[in-house]
Amino acid sequence: MIRIENLAKRAGGTQILRDVSFEVVSQSVLGIIGASGSGKTTLLRCLNGLERIDAGSILLEDVRLEASIPGSDYHQRVRMLRRKVGTVFQHLHLFPHLTVLGNIIEAPVHVLRVPRREAEAEGLELLESVGLKQAAQRFPESLSGGEQQRVAIARALAMHPNLLLFDEPTSALDPKRSAELRSLLRDFVKRGHTMVVVSHSIGFLIGLADYLLYMEGGQAIEYGETDTVLNSPKDPRTADFVRQVE
Amino acid sequence: MGKLLSVLCVVLTNLVIIISTGTTTSGQQVLRWGADPSGGAPYVYADPANPDRYIGFEKEMVDALAAAMGRKPEFVPTDWESIVSTLQRGSFDIVVNGLEPTTDRAQLILFSKPYYVFEQQLTVRKDEDRIHSIADCRSLRLLVGTLGNTAASRYMQKEGIPFRGYPDPVAAYRDLELKRIDGVLMDVPMELYYARSNPDLKPASAPFLRGTYNVGLRKGDEALKVQIDEAIDKIIRDGTLESILRKWNLWNDAQAELQTPIRAGQKNDTISYDLTSVSFNWRQAFGRLARAAVVTVLIAFGSMFIAVVLGLPLAVGQSKGPRSIQGLCTIYVEFFRGTPVLVQLLFLYFGLPAIHLAMPGWLTALVGLGLNYAAYESQIYRAALEAIPRGQWEAAYSLGMSPLLAFRRIILPQSFRIALPPMTNDFVSLFKDTSVAYVISVWELATAYRELANATGRFLTLGIVVSAFYMIMSLPLARLARRLERKMRDRQPAEVSTAEVPA
Repeated sequence: MIRIENLAKRAGGTQILRDVSFEVVSQSVLGIIGASGSGKTTLLRCLNGLERIDAGSILLEDVRLEASIPGSDYHQRVRMLRRKVGTVFQHLHLFPHLTVLGNIIEAPVHVLRVPRREAEAEGLELLESVGLKQAAQRFPESLSGGEQQRVAIARALAMHPNLLLFDEPTSALDPKRSAELRSLLRDFVKRGHTMVVVSHSIGFLIGLADYLLYMEGGQAIEYGETDTVLNSPKDPRTADFVRQVE
Repeated sequence: MGKLLSVLCVVLTNLVIIISTGTTTSGQQVLRWGADPSGGAPYVYADPANPDRYIGFEKEMVDALAAAMGRKPEFVPTDWESIVSTLQRGSFDIVVNGLEPTTDRAQLILFSKPYYVFEQQLTVRKDEDRIHSIADCRSLRLLVGTLGNTAASRYMQKEGIPFRGYPDPVAAYRDLELKRIDGVLMDVPMELYYARSNPDLKPASAPFLRGTYNVGLRKGDEALKVQIDEAIDKIIRDGTLESILRKWNLWNDAQAELQTPIRAGQKNDTISYDLTSVSFNWRQAFGRLARAAVVTVLIAFGSMFIAVVLGLPLAVGQSKGPRSIQGLCTIYVEFFRGTPVLVQLLFLYFGLPAIHLAMPGWLTALVGLGLNYAAYESQIYRAALEAIPRGQWEAAYSLGMSPLLAFRRIILPQSFRIALPPMTNDFVSLFKDTSVAYVISVWELATAYRELANATGRFLTLGIVVSAFYMIMSLPLARLARRLERKMRDRQPAEVSTAEVPA
């Protein structure tokens, strides 16, 4: 169970997020849509603690992060939250000085203290599940953009997150690769993963997202099942946006 | 304006005349004499009461000599250890600076007849009970300080007594007090002036090893030598020299022995004393240079280690620390970058003993250069750390890493690759900067070159050998650095693929 309540975020005098509340159903995909500057990426960065929240709360299983928690306790909670949340960034941020396998086992070995051998065996399994087992000893820069993205996914999965976040996963992919990524992610959902995907591409989210959240001006305008939000939105702003994008 | 210009022209023309002919405008010939006035008492030194004026027994003697020759004396301050070479290249006409007519010097320059008989005095600390003669220093392997390139240094080199040459007597006696050395062997006039009244020092034995001071001239200036010899005879015969020496408390029986025959009108030039002289041999020179090279390497590696280790907290403190730490780090960096390393070394070597922190010379050089280069390394690190995209930190945090772990495992290894080329560049440059250690009398390569070349006049050949020593040591270093860089570049990604693009 993941529940976000009354979330707010200010930066430099502007209100970037205001009163955002929604839920993510376990073993489902929530797609977040909205125009540039609507606050969807900031929302994602709040979910893994990269941005400090100014009001509201985030509840993920047994970890509850509240804006009112003071300094060091807040950081403590953020670290607990991050252990349960995996992130695949838009620009991936793979570690260029480590091999593909090194990228994947780095956190399990040094954060979770998994024995190296065990971590490597599991890392290779993960690479196999994203179709990159043969690239284990290569360095990330020798891979294509799509391959690098799958390394980033494997890296996030290696920490066994309860929630997986994606920021604009299709921004560097052609339609064919986008379709492949969608079916790969769908496989992971079938295996029990829960995801939040921020994307400007509604086409990508159709067939992937079970639920959609439409953001505008830092507010959650509409939340519902994908079909409902796209075909019979309650709010005229959602209807405008969907019409424009299509 | 035109008037000013013409005045300037006249002044310049006169200057040229003076320089080229050594004649004053009044027509009187100038006698340019060279000596080292720093720590030069009682020979020639700046009057403490009036630092613009030089005083000393040799100053008064040259005035008398010049008067006897009908010339106008002109003092040219110079550096003691290279005084023979400076005479040879023509910076002045004669050397009057307690110069001993050793046989090795006699091959390079002319000497007048003697004007003073000196002896050597060994000085030790007041509480010293091991040393009763110079022989004790040899058998106990105790380090003795002296003025570089003197009869005393030649004597100790020949006798195999461990010694260290200093550029001036003050530094030698100070190091004796600070226990950096265990004795100082110096000509009596200097001992008289700089050590006799010091309550912490005492003479170890009676003075020994007689020798003479003579005026030094360039080869080929035989006519001038005759004039100087005549002038010396004259000021001895008319008692001028005796009264000068008495005034400076330097008159003794040995001077009487030198002067009496001349006053009696005897043409006795034969008074000579056997002065030790070093014969140059390449084997010994190589040995000393090799030892100096080891010291150079030790200082270079030691100080680089300090710089590399200390640079990191400085860099992190300056870019990520709280405001007060940032300020302190910035002050440190700006202080060490903004002041000459030469001044820093002198401060550490002579200034710190005031708060009871007396380090030996090599350690002072090692620490001083280390502190200095740490400032430079920190700036390299800072640039390298800031070159790592923010996304790398965020990716590490998102994987649950603590800031320290993220820094150690993700940021540092990447920064190191960026920092490596400028770091190796700094190391090569540090390697050469060890040569500033000569100001605190550390026997590293540059000091070795200076002392050996000063003692023998072989600036050219020794210079080539010393350069070769430096090259032999720094070339493998540069090659190693290149190999390391290449190895890293082969694995180092072009940063395009994962570079952060503003969304």
